[in-house]
Amino acid sequence: MFTFVTLCITSLLFGSSYQQMEFQVCHLCVGSLQNGTAVGYFCASLSGRVEGRCCWRQQGERASIVGLDLSNCSLRHIEDLQEASTAVMIDLSSNPVINISDSVFQGFIELHYLRLPSTLQCPGGNASWEKVTSDGVVCLCEEQKDACHQDGNMSWNCPENSLCAPDGPGFTQCSCTGEYHGYKCLREGQFPTGLVFGILGSSTFLASALLWYTQRRKAKFT
Amino acid sequence: MSPPCCGFLSQYTHHHLVTFLLTFFSYVLLHASRKTFSNVKVSISAQWTPSVLNGSSPAYSPGQTWEENKLFEDSQEATLFLGALDTIFLFSYAIGLYVSGVIGDRLNLRYVLSFGLCGSAIVEFLFGTVTEWLHFYNIYFYCCLWVLNGLLQSAVWPCVVAVMGNWFGKSGRGFVFGLWSACASVGNILGAFLASSVLKYGYEYAFLVTSAVQFAGGVVVFFGLLSSPKEVGLSMTCESAMSPVQNDSDSHRPLISDEEYAQEEEGVMCDGGYYSVQRSDQDQDQAPELGDPPVAIGFFQAFCLPGVLPYSLAYACLKLVNYSFFFWLPFYLSSNFGWKEAQADRLSVWYDVGGIVGGTVQGLISDFLGKRAPVLAVSLLLAMGSLVGYSHSPDNQVINAVLLAVTGFFIGGPSNMISSAISADLGRQEVLRGSQEALATVTGIVDGTGSIGAAGGQYLVSLIESRLSWMPVFYFFITMTGVSLLFIGPMIISELRSVCQEMRTRVHQL
Repeated sequence: MFTFVTLCITSLLFGSSYQQMEFQVCHLCVGSLQNGTAVGYFCASLSGRVEGRCCWRQQGERASIVGLDLSNCSLRHIEDLQEASTAVMIDLSSNPVINISDSVFQGFIELHYLRLPSTLQCPGGNASWEKVTSDGVVCLCEEQKDACHQDGNMSWNCPENSLCAPDGPGFTQCSCTGEYHGYKCLREGQFPTGLVFGILGSSTFLASALLWYTQRRKAKFT
Repeated sequence: MSPPCCGFLSQYTHHHLVTFLLTFFSYVLLHASRKTFSNVKVSISAQWTPSVLNGSSPAYSPGQTWEENKLFEDSQEATLFLGALDTIFLFSYAIGLYVSGVIGDRLNLRYVLSFGLCGSAIVEFLFGTVTEWLHFYNIYFYCCLWVLNGLLQSAVWPCVVAVMGNWFGKSGRGFVFGLWSACASVGNILGAFLASSVLKYGYEYAFLVTSAVQFAGGVVVFFGLLSSPKEVGLSMTCESAMSPVQNDSDSHRPLISDEEYAQEEEGVMCDGGYYSVQRSDQDQDQAPELGDPPVAIGFFQAFCLPGVLPYSLAYACLKLVNYSFFFWLPFYLSSNFGWKEAQADRLSVWYDVGGIVGGTVQGLISDFLGKRAPVLAVSLLLAMGSLVGYSHSPDNQVINAVLLAVTGFFIGGPSNMISSAISADLGRQEVLRGSQEALATVTGIVDGTGSIGAAGGQYLVSLIESRLSWMPVFYFFITMTGVSLLFIGPMIISELRSVCQEMRTRVHQL
């Protein structure tokens, strides 16, 4: 336990390119990514690094998960896969999962290949995916559709100053356009603090000095 | 020994001009910050509430941008709270006025004024900017800050009127004060301009800018203001021999008001006993206790001064009408005629313009006559008529603007006069004989009573409007104007009587 902790601390202190954060999702079950699986093949083609059940890819300074293989893990419930939100390929087949909440996949904007046990539906429904195939054992959801452009037209209206952007299969988010930012995209631009306070400060100083000189300098009583 | 008088403008030095401008802009900045709060209400209530969803569509994502702030469930609740904040502010402002007037007469006016301006600026900064930067939204915190703001802002008005009263004598006071009391309306215009230009960066920056400018104003006032001519050894501007300055308390004096007697009286009563250095040895016999500094009057003594109570009550009714117009006009215009809020805001400026012109012109007229109450009476009668006319205004923006300006002229005029020139008159009566400082206390009493009336009126107007409709609201305004006329009835009668007596004596002399 102690060595584990020291290892963690030393690895944290060691800098970015060797950062190996202990992602829980990669160790939800034992074993590591197999070469023969779809995810394993995908990982090899990208020359990614395998860690537990995850496939990592280095992109400049940052490393992100691009593949996750949790098949045959005897998982009954899948609740939080958020750590793998950058995944392109996820395999959850051969797990005794009865149902899975749609929101598990919220934020998975890169997900284009999802293998699920046939008891489950594709997240966001069949309409959110280009191709849905099922062979009785495995349900395969391929090529997530942009939920903002359902059936060719914008079916999702975002409030003022924001635009629709995809946020996972069947999910959308409204992000602020242009210079707008902040809560409800109400604020626009950056306040010119330096300019305003520079002018205010200097004119206050000048006015006070001028008035003191002309008015109060000769004041007899306080 | 005639008083060294003086053409109207030549009696004023550059000190008078600076004092006029400094006090003018102190109150302008204060009103600008109040108007800022009114103008950013829509943005603040948007900040406090989650997004409005149409129908059964799911909540917008991400939550931090659209759903996070749930201080109020919807904009109606937020609006109710903002209205409650207004009422809290007005009540604490009214209470503070009673206290600040008393304090101003006892302490250095300049210190109290700067303290009020800077303190209020800091509180506004905390209220609007710091809470937003820290994302700390709390109802009780807002209420406490706004109570504190009301108390601090109340220090400003009595002090500025007292300083103006110190510098500007009774002659020309009506005109000067009429012009000067445009400060509230100028403040509204400035506040609207500041808020609208900075609002796009976020409402917290509107608060930041107005509170920073107000703080700067407090600093400039501290370094530049002379609270009375005494501080530089100047004399008080004396009465001009042209305008008779009989007060209503003179009505029991003998009618031998020939020039000599009048001048002698004026020499003694030269507005509270400020004498120039060279005259002091000549007036030694007649000068009241020149050695002793003036003593500040007690609160109840000030309350019992002749004229204070009737004018305070009349002002309560008038300020109720004035402020209700100020707060509710854009809402009335957009709900009754269906005009857009921006248009309604712009139109409501005309009421302020009418008020500025009314205050100045009526002050000038009352200076010529030497009497204030008859001018007020005529104006209030015409105000009732113009209110009836305005309530039947057609759905035409130009006609509405004209009627609005006329109404503003007849209501804003007396309102401005009572709160400034008349308060200064009351605080400088012969009864005090220069031995008591009462100006700030009296101003505090008059404006404090007025603010209580205004605070009560906010609630009553919304109550009447929600139970009945807008017509009863106008009837309510007309009644209040009539009531204020009743309160100053005795003053009008006695002033008219003395006018008649003067005219009779003049006829006798001829």
